[in-house]
Amino acid sequence: MEQAPPIIETDGLTRDFRKTRAVDSLDLSIQPGELFGLVGPDGAGKTTTLRLLAGLLDITSGSATVAGYDLARQPEAVKRRIGYMAQQFSLYGELSVVENLFFFSELYDVPRSELKQRTERLLAFAGLTDFKDRWAVQLSGGMQKKLALACTLIHEPEILLLDEPTTGVDPVSRREFWDILTDLYLGGTTILVSTPYMDEADRCSRVGLMYTGRMVICAEPRQIRAQIEGELIELRPDDWQAALALVETLPGVHEVQTYGELLHVFVDSGDQRLPEIEAALMEHGVAYRGIRRATARMEEAFISLIKRLEEGRED
Amino acid sequence: MSWRHLRAIIRKEINHIMRDRMTFTLVMFTPVALLFLMAYALTVDIKHVPVAVLDYDRSSTSRAFAQRTTEGEDLDLYAVVDCLDEVENLLMHGEIKAALVINPAFESDLQSLRGVSLQVVIDGTEPESGGFAVEHIVGRAEEFVGELLADQMRALDVSLESLQPIDLRVRTLYNPGLKPRIDLVPGLISMVLGMPALSVALTLAHEREHGTLEQVMATPVGRAELLLGKMIPYIIVGLVNVIVIPILARLAFHIPFNGSFPLFFWLSALFLFAILSMGTIVGVFIHTQPAALALSFLVIFFPGFFLTGIFFPIASMPEMMRMEAMFLPGTHYAVITRGVFLPGVGLDVLWPYGVMLVGLGVAFTAVAALFFRKKLG
Repeated sequence: MEQAPPIIETDGLTRDFRKTRAVDSLDLSIQPGELFGLVGPDGAGKTTTLRLLAGLLDITSGSATVAGYDLARQPEAVKRRIGYMAQQFSLYGELSVVENLFFFSELYDVPRSELKQRTERLLAFAGLTDFKDRWAVQLSGGMQKKLALACTLIHEPEILLLDEPTTGVDPVSRREFWDILTDLYLGGTTILVSTPYMDEADRCSRVGLMYTGRMVICAEPRQIRAQIEGELIELRPDDWQAALALVETLPGVHEVQTYGELLHVFVDSGDQRLPEIEAALMEHGVAYRGIRRATARMEEAFISLIKRLEEGRED
Repeated sequence: MSWRHLRAIIRKEINHIMRDRMTFTLVMFTPVALLFLMAYALTVDIKHVPVAVLDYDRSSTSRAFAQRTTEGEDLDLYAVVDCLDEVENLLMHGEIKAALVINPAFESDLQSLRGVSLQVVIDGTEPESGGFAVEHIVGRAEEFVGELLADQMRALDVSLESLQPIDLRVRTLYNPGLKPRIDLVPGLISMVLGMPALSVALTLAHEREHGTLEQVMATPVGRAELLLGKMIPYIIVGLVNVIVIPILARLAFHIPFNGSFPLFFWLSALFLFAILSMGTIVGVFIHTQPAALALSFLVIFFPGFFLTGIFFPIASMPEMMRMEAMFLPGTHYAVITRGVFLPGVGLDVLWPYGVMLVGLGVAFTAVAALFFRKKLG
């Protein structure tokens, strides 16, 4: 597995915009066939990284190789081998579904003999067969994303670079979109996808967390989940502010995260601390509707990591 | 250069023009609307100018002359007055724009074949109406005196040529049939046909704003394919206007088309190539539509209005501006439209202007292609 040469490899990849360093000495190595998730808060440099790898931005320093081609010297050769999907919906609204597919097939020099078969397959794949003559602008947000994905797949690229492809899409469409990505992943396509959703990151084979232009951690989802210290207790109080102030001070509590009115309390031992917390709440008269043990997800791990990074920055 | 890529871009752009109502209106109707607006504003006939008559002569000849002068739609007789004070009063109140003053010796001067002396008082705050009244009165006076003298000359059996001593003093080429500034219309046509340049600048900025350019830049399409694919559809729609506008100019403004239409068509294609490459430069450098609109007006349309010799002769401009005018496609094309419409001159006269248009088009396209990169930010 480790023997195969990486299909995407960056070495100190850096990009500056005027005064800000959007991507800072990024060293990334992705093996063929990986489904790599890029996560991080807004402004962490995810979009810039994907645009750099798609050959759409000049590299300030460092280097990158994509599909065996040097990105700085042979960007056009790279473009033939990748499918890039921008964050914004970026198809032609006044062209129909089929016309959009045809337009991109022409630009990618898809052999005419294969065009019909590929178009039909992609339409079926994306569930757009019934809408093939509709203008792109008239499609729902989820269908627009699926059409955009179909357009980036028309030349059967080895590598897919997807920039937050499901942002602003309803949960059902989001799930359908990821089912398509999973099919592609199983078919052997290398996928690099950025996402703000942790449940999506959980579906990746490997996840990289970016923070202020740097890659902070790069590991399998379960390894990232394991980063979190202690065990998780989920608490649903009536007054979350009072509960937060109290619970934070109790012994054995590492960290408390808020999710709306819900508190996630990380403790050294769930079995020992759960009754203690209940007792403390009773004692101080803080009413609650429920308290239970829970398993930590990517989301908790992510927030915990970011919190630690931010504290580190303030020091 | 891949023909397949170029054709795909052209086809996509034509679909956009035909299906996007805004773009369609901008490229198909704006040139026509603009031509009508400007041509009507500039060629408006002055009619029904109110005038007063102060007749010191009170002879049958002077009365006949006053009546002749105020006949028709041009001047309206507002009042017959007795003294200059009344004239001044009427002018002050804006009730008349001009007054005709006939001196006491009008009839006797004419009968003795001396020169006639007329006075016209005009309202200097409205020189257009006043000046028009003067021109009109002088014209009518020439006609009137001419006819009167012709009768007398026939009686005396002398020819008009032998009567050189008679000096009407004001000589004018006034022609009652000539509409003011009709000569401007071919120049205006050269201006409105440049409108697609605005569209091409806007469409590039639009694609940047909407992210479609980002998606296209991520494909292996060539830069020249992309830019030419953008320009060619607008050249095609521009040529539709090249056919429509001379027809409308003839129907609406009675502008004769005396030259060769095929010659006009092909020279117009060269002009469209040159002006669209200017619009493309704007689109390459400017990334938002409002800014592209502003810059197009600043570098394409305002200079096109003031520096291309449509309104102000280039020869009377300072040297710097004359230089700048040479770099504007409109300067050369205005010569072509004026030449083709009115005198109907041919390629033997117009070829240098065609050569200039080709040169400018190639140079501007090269600049656009040089600075256009398939990169964001």
